[in-house]
Amino acid sequence: MAELEEEVDVLVQRVVKDINNAFKRNPNIDEIGVIPCPEARYNRSPIVLVENKLGVESWCVKFLLPYVHNKLLLYRQRKHWLDREALVDITCTLLLLNPDFTTAWNVRKELVQCGVLHPEKDLYLGMLALTKFPKSPETWIHRRWVLQQMLHQFFAVGESSKQQQQQQQQQQNGEAAQADGERSHQLSDHLARTLHQEMKVCSDAACRYPSNYNAWSHRIWVLQHMAKGNVKVFHDELSSMRLWVSMHVSDHSGFHYRQFLLNELITVLSHAAAPAVTAVTSSSPFCSGPVPGTVVPHSLSHAHANGELSGADTAAEDERQHSCTTVLQLFHQEMELCSDLIQSFPGHETLWSHRRHVFYLWHQWRREQQPHGSSNGGSRPIHRNDSDPGRPEVGDGSRAGRTESVNGQNHTGEPMEVDGVSSSDPHDSKRLKRGAPLPSATLPSEHGFVGGVLRGCCDPEQRRFALAYKKWLDTVIAQQPSSSSSDREDGGQGGGGDGGADLQPAAAAASSPLMVADSERKGSCADEVLHC
Amino acid sequence: MGTQVKDVIIKPDAPSLLILDKHADYIAAYGSKKDDYEYTLSEFLRMSGIYWGLTVMDLMDQLPRMNRDEIIDFIKACQHECGGMSASIGHDPHLLYTLSAVQILCLYDSVDAIDVDKVVEYVKGLQQEDGSFAGDKWGEIDTRFSFCAVATLSLLGKMDKMNVDKAVEFVLSCMNFDGGFGCRPGSESHAGQIYCCTGFLSLTGQLHQVNADLLGWWLCERQLSSGGLNGRPEKLPDVCYSWWVLASLKIIGRIDWIDKAKLRRFILACQDEETGGFADRPGDMVDPFHTLFGIAGLSLLGDEQIKPVNPVLCMPEDVLQRAGVQPDILS
Repeated sequence: MAELEEEVDVLVQRVVKDINNAFKRNPNIDEIGVIPCPEARYNRSPIVLVENKLGVESWCVKFLLPYVHNKLLLYRQRKHWLDREALVDITCTLLLLNPDFTTAWNVRKELVQCGVLHPEKDLYLGMLALTKFPKSPETWIHRRWVLQQMLHQFFAVGESSKQQQQQQQQQQNGEAAQADGERSHQLSDHLARTLHQEMKVCSDAACRYPSNYNAWSHRIWVLQHMAKGNVKVFHDELSSMRLWVSMHVSDHSGFHYRQFLLNELITVLSHAAAPAVTAVTSSSPFCSGPVPGTVVPHSLSHAHANGELSGADTAAEDERQHSCTTVLQLFHQEMELCSDLIQSFPGHETLWSHRRHVFYLWHQWRREQQPHGSSNGGSRPIHRNDSDPGRPEVGDGSRAGRTESVNGQNHTGEPMEVDGVSSSDPHDSKRLKRGAPLPSATLPSEHGFVGGVLRGCCDPEQRRFALAYKKWLDTVIAQQPSSSSSDREDGGQGGGGDGGADLQPAAAAASSPLMVADSERKGSCADEVLHC
Repeated sequence: MGTQVKDVIIKPDAPSLLILDKHADYIAAYGSKKDDYEYTLSEFLRMSGIYWGLTVMDLMDQLPRMNRDEIIDFIKACQHECGGMSASIGHDPHLLYTLSAVQILCLYDSVDAIDVDKVVEYVKGLQQEDGSFAGDKWGEIDTRFSFCAVATLSLLGKMDKMNVDKAVEFVLSCMNFDGGFGCRPGSESHAGQIYCCTGFLSLTGQLHQVNADLLGWWLCERQLSSGGLNGRPEKLPDVCYSWWVLASLKIIGRIDWIDKAKLRRFILACQDEETGGFADRPGDMVDPFHTLFGIAGLSLLGDEQIKPVNPVLCMPEDVLQRAGVQPDILS
């Protein structure tokens, strides 16, 4: 028995060494995997390196994993000493085999903290683990921690170089200041590269496992922490995702990501378009950090920096105009994409769910375009030709911005003023000259879309989703409390209200007889979902 | 062109009767066969594994078959200096396993076996300025951890030790347009996260902040033709999601909105008649995790051979009564 154990020990130590040598031999390994191979082949290492792929023969995994696992736990309990290099090697093998072993990632966090391990090495290890385990929650969690560390470092270096720069400028030492500027520039380049790499890791994992919640929520986190408010990055993401979602029409998480991008873009653009913007602060290193190289369009940061803009500032007016047009285009393109996909790929719940979200965002945004009270007199909603005939002209200002509590995306924190986009505005004509106004979605047009789908399609799933969407329009969108509850009594026919899904306290909702009726309706909706 | 159906088909010969004895034998034997490889592979979640096994045994009224003393000694050995509990000996402490440990001790009515004050300090120390909770000292934020924190503190009767208002504010900031919740602000709605967030709002007395009709709608749409529930659109049905969705519906008072008979049929079909235990889907390999959620789901559906389960904490109601914990449920 003891002899066998010793043999296993020797074997396993060799394999751990082989793995780490493989990484030294080829720093470009980009994928790992287990090679099905029930028995050892005489005198050959179970570690196989072909091109950039690292394989482990399956027979050795059952020896290898318990060995490295126990070694690390003994170290953690201070029963067995391991030097730093051995720790790096052992955790590497361990995590490639079992990436959800949290404690092993924590050991590596400590190694990063004391400077033994370069953070990028860990991003690389995580990337490899994700090629075999694309969902692994602990791997994604560790990545976020590593990225946070890198961001802190960037900030720290950026801050100190800024201080130095100031000192040096005082000393009129231009050359050194320039060198420092160079350094800052390199840092922001580095950050942009890291961001790009991170997006790629997320894409790969998303391709390996459909509707990969961890990969997509990580991607959102990355943008929130590394590119907040960065219009260019969000635009680029939106356009690069277009093809991806078209090829993954069942991937609800991928579509959710698009919804997130759209929401963020609209928030930023709406802020930019608001005539009286109070300076928007952002935690993004691109926007407000000491690291220069901001990618925020000049005019946008200009609008932010100035805070209040005078009405005579035509450049700012143009900017506002442009922002609004962009928002309109974004919505229009998204609804068009959604219609195309629904028609080309019938029977996908994901696509119908996407339609709900986009239409909901659109509906909210339009509500916020409505002037508050009557102070804006002549100003009208954008594209009033397209405006919902059943909708009151004067919006309910008191409810604008309510969605801030609806989701944490802060997309409607500040209701947008409409002066800049009203048709009475002199610049509006300029916009209109750029092309015909985009047809926008309205409740009737959505009902028309559903009707068209129902008429032209016999796919039972497609019909079921179309009917559910219709019901959603009737109950969630059209039946929202607008000015009085009487509006809701006869609702459900479409085109009635102006509200989005309003999250009023459920207790109040439950006590309302109307909501009981609603429940029955939804019960029947669910029945339909089940039985049709 | 046919579209791919994302559901399972329940075969006519699939199990349709509840085989409780087999499940109890399966769980009782589970811990004893320790294959080195399998054991190490899942050791990082051992404490939760024990909670799943013991809870399902208790729901089947078979808890005395488990080795109480050994388990309590194990839990004691997993408490760290900081007060937090780890999944196993030598692993690092985490909120996930702290909750599991406290749940197990409640099943055994032995919370005092560990240093409760230290646990409270640990949980409290993980709350962030914005009200969210980190899972451990390394700072990962997730609404799951908000749930773990309030569940732990409410089982210990120490909810007053945390900033409840701030915690609620954070969880509400993760609510989406569909009435659901994600792991962080801006994240996609997910049945598991919704369970955590509705459970959290129940324990903090804030269920009125949920739009029960809207959320109920989304949850109902998780039911597929097979009767099983999925966790997000176009995912396969799964016994564990069936629990999370069903429990959330129960918490917000909308459990009657789904077809219960069909769901029961789906859950029963996930049993393995030979080995005992439940799998995620009919015909797959069984495990203790799905066995707990299969049994708990059947309990919520009203099966009288099983003890009533609490939808918020996934523990037997009698245990919670003894502990003096009664989470809110919307009617």
